[in-house]
Amino acid sequence: MTGGPALVARPAAGAPARLRGALGERVFYGLIGFVGVLLIWEATAQLGLYRKSLLSTPSAIWQAAATDIANGELWPHVSLSLTEFAIGFVLSLVLGVPLGLLIGWFRRVDYLFSGLLAGLNAMPHVALIPLIILVAGIGMESKVIVVFLWTFFAVVVTTFNGVQTTARKHLEITRSFGGSQWLAFRTVVLPSTLPFIISGVRIGAGRALVGVVSAEFLAANRGLGFYISLYGTFLDTARVMLGIVIFGILGVVIGELVRVVERRFEVWRPDLHH
Amino acid sequence: MEHHLALSARGVQMEYRDRQSGKRLLALENVDLDVPDGAFVSLLGPSGCGKSTFLKIVNGLLRQTSGEIKLHRVAKGREDAMVFQDASLFPWYTVTDNVAYGLVCAGVSRKAARERVQPFIDLVGLGGFGDKYPYQLSGGMQQRANLARALAVDAAILLMDEPFASLDAQTRELMQAELLRIWNAARKTVVFVTHQIDEAVFLSDRVVVMAARPGRVIADITIDLPRPRELSVKRTPLFQDYGERIWGLLAGRQEETASQGRAS
Amino acid sequence: MARASTADGPTFRTVLPRQRRRRSAAQRWYRRNERLVLSLLGIVAFFAVWQLGADAGIVDRFFFSSPSEVAIAGWAELQRARFWEDVRVSSVELAVGSALAVIVSVPLGLVIGWYRRLSYAFDPWLNFLNALPRVALIPLVVLWVGLGVEMKMLIVFLGAVFTIMVATVEGVRTVERQLLDVARSFRASEARIFTSLVIPGTLPFIISGLRIAVGRVLAGVIIAEFYAQTQGVGVMIAKAAATLQSDRMMFGVVLVTLLGIILYEAVGYAERWFQRWRPSLDLEETT
Ligand SMILES: Nc1ncnc2c1ncn2[C@@H]1O[C@H](COP(=O)(O)OP(=O)(O)OP(=O)(O)O)[C@@H](O)[C@H]1O
Ligand SMILES: [Mg+2]
Repeated sequence: MTGGPALVARPAAGAPARLRGALGERVFYGLIGFVGVLLIWEATAQLGLYRKSLLSTPSAIWQAAATDIANGELWPHVSLSLTEFAIGFVLSLVLGVPLGLLIGWFRRVDYLFSGLLAGLNAMPHVALIPLIILVAGIGMESKVIVVFLWTFFAVVVTTFNGVQTTARKHLEITRSFGGSQWLAFRTVVLPSTLPFIISGVRIGAGRALVGVVSAEFLAANRGLGFYISLYGTFLDTARVMLGIVIFGILGVVIGELVRVVERRFEVWRPDLHH
Repeated sequence: MEHHLALSARGVQMEYRDRQSGKRLLALENVDLDVPDGAFVSLLGPSGCGKSTFLKIVNGLLRQTSGEIKLHRVAKGREDAMVFQDASLFPWYTVTDNVAYGLVCAGVSRKAARERVQPFIDLVGLGGFGDKYPYQLSGGMQQRANLARALAVDAAILLMDEPFASLDAQTRELMQAELLRIWNAARKTVVFVTHQIDEAVFLSDRVVVMAARPGRVIADITIDLPRPRELSVKRTPLFQDYGERIWGLLAGRQEETASQGRAS
Repeated sequence: MARASTADGPTFRTVLPRQRRRRSAAQRWYRRNERLVLSLLGIVAFFAVWQLGADAGIVDRFFFSSPSEVAIAGWAELQRARFWEDVRVSSVELAVGSALAVIVSVPLGLVIGWYRRLSYAFDPWLNFLNALPRVALIPLVVLWVGLGVEMKMLIVFLGAVFTIMVATVEGVRTVERQLLDVARSFRASEARIFTSLVIPGTLPFIISGLRIAVGRVLAGVIIAEFYAQTQGVGVMIAKAAATLQSDRMMFGVVLVTLLGIILYEAVGYAERWFQRWRPSLDLEETT
């Protein structure tokens, strides 16, 4: 800026600024953005700037939620999707983590699997859904398989990458003091791989959610994905949006849960504590 | 006290070979070294002359391509323990668990090891920091924990690879004095690798000077300074004579290799 | 003093050099190329197990076909005009959707990231939309634009746009922290800082975002085609599955996998090229 006064005024913080300071800038503007978008959405729809059936309105979605929760219509769909997610997810961890550790720990096993895994990981897994439905039917089993496969590859690949990036320097310490290979595995490889495993879990969780939705779209008679597509065919945008919002919330909640686990297991990592 | 040899190396050669290209590199050529029990010997030389390689061979992390290493057997525990260069603590362990790790490697249970290492944590001046993680410690404190881990396994020989390289000048002097105190109290044999001439002279009974390409011993100088040594010894003329002599050896080598480079 | 003493007898542990093994030329070659050999072996073994399993009746041909059948079906498919039409449609959807996503998300991301308060205001929505499985939007998008090509382009677009935007915002913020003090202390103008520092500094982040987006756009286009059942490689897979032609279906799966590998490799290559000077970015990767 040119031509301004020689001294720049720095006014003391006013009332809004003080509120901002107390809440933290991030939260303050975050809230403004969140509420602001909701208000604009509601207002433009009510003013008839576009057809309500395109995007529904926050109030209509709220109403749909209240109705369907009260009459118990929503919960069975949500709980089924969550069950499919949970079973497939736990299975993939139970099998994927040990396999990833095995592949990473033995050099030759790693070589043997590396090309195959790279290919399977680059595969758009959704392309397998028709096959899975063909094999396992349209019930819960097919969705569990979908969730399992999606998460499994993410977990295996990140786990074995983790084992491989174990610092040589750290492995040398165990050898230097005459510790066994098994001790090195437990005390060095496992802890240093944990952050990778957790990031694999996070990636896998996101994918698994996509898997649930996709499989339920294509063949199901229950579940949140089915709920969305069903009301899509009825042109009930409010309920479609409700389903989408619930999926988004699930995504955020699962991400946060993973973060909690991360903090719990990795007290030794400085960057996780502010 | 009877003076037997703690360590004896005869004609040790080390040739590295690149797995992919198959290229060879002679890191050590015909190294002879005798270290009497209880002595403090420093290895001094330019970067890449094979100091770390030698320590790793003695420690068993590497196997020499030819020559022979003999280590005096001890009744219990290990013959040797390594103090690694900086940041060799496990970030996922507390100070206590890190110091206890050498014992755990020797088969002691985690719980018993934790109890046994307390005196060593105190000895290196980390009392009260046992529950801290490495990232909560300063570089000097990490280095002490590193030292305590090696001391705790009660090995006869301490192999120290530039343990103070990353410390500031003051902390470094403090740690040097501390090391001499511990060495004196615990009656260990020490093989100490360093880049710093004054550090080597101040600490050692003997300074073994090495040259690079190929890595070899070019001089073995006995340091006849009275013990116990105070930091003030660094200002005596005798100390400075030793320093200059060694500096001359290293610099002379450098000129020689430089002129060789021009000639070829 | 101690020189006089000897170093012999049982009181010493002696470490001798390792015996050098004599290796033939073939063994040496193998040791140098072990990684490549074994990883190829792994892939070959996969197909061999599949083929032999199918021949022996352990792997159910009815569902999984076999590599030889897939190859034959694939060859037949390559002769069909309908197949190439499907490929063309899917490619156009992918290309247009992704290009639009980049065109929209990069400038928006730069602006949002540049103004800190604006970025805080958008944070909740960006995080929400980034955590939402975008395929859940398909029925909604169908309500907007019907079942045609536009719907699939939009799904591809939605799959990539938030991912790239989040990465771009993150990039601008990182660059800001690192370089701005320097630039400001030299009294550089805002515009100059933006063009000379922020945009090049953010580029690696944008490419990281692209890598994550690859999986999402591929998944998006396929699911959208499954859903719409109009045209495209996804439709070919779904139709083949519905008519129990497992060989054709598997050919489709192999095809999209190859496409995935090529896209990942391309973006990965660009990423490594741009990131020579920067450690890798730990962005959350969710499809
Ligand atoms: N694992 C290895 N493979 C191949 N060459 C190696 C390996 N380790 C060391 N070298 C080479 O051997 C030589 C000696 O290395 P070494 O680490 O022993 O040197 P140093 O004297 O400890 O050096 P510095 O003072 O820098 O630590 C160097 O030229 C180095 O490049
Ligand atoms: Mg070294």
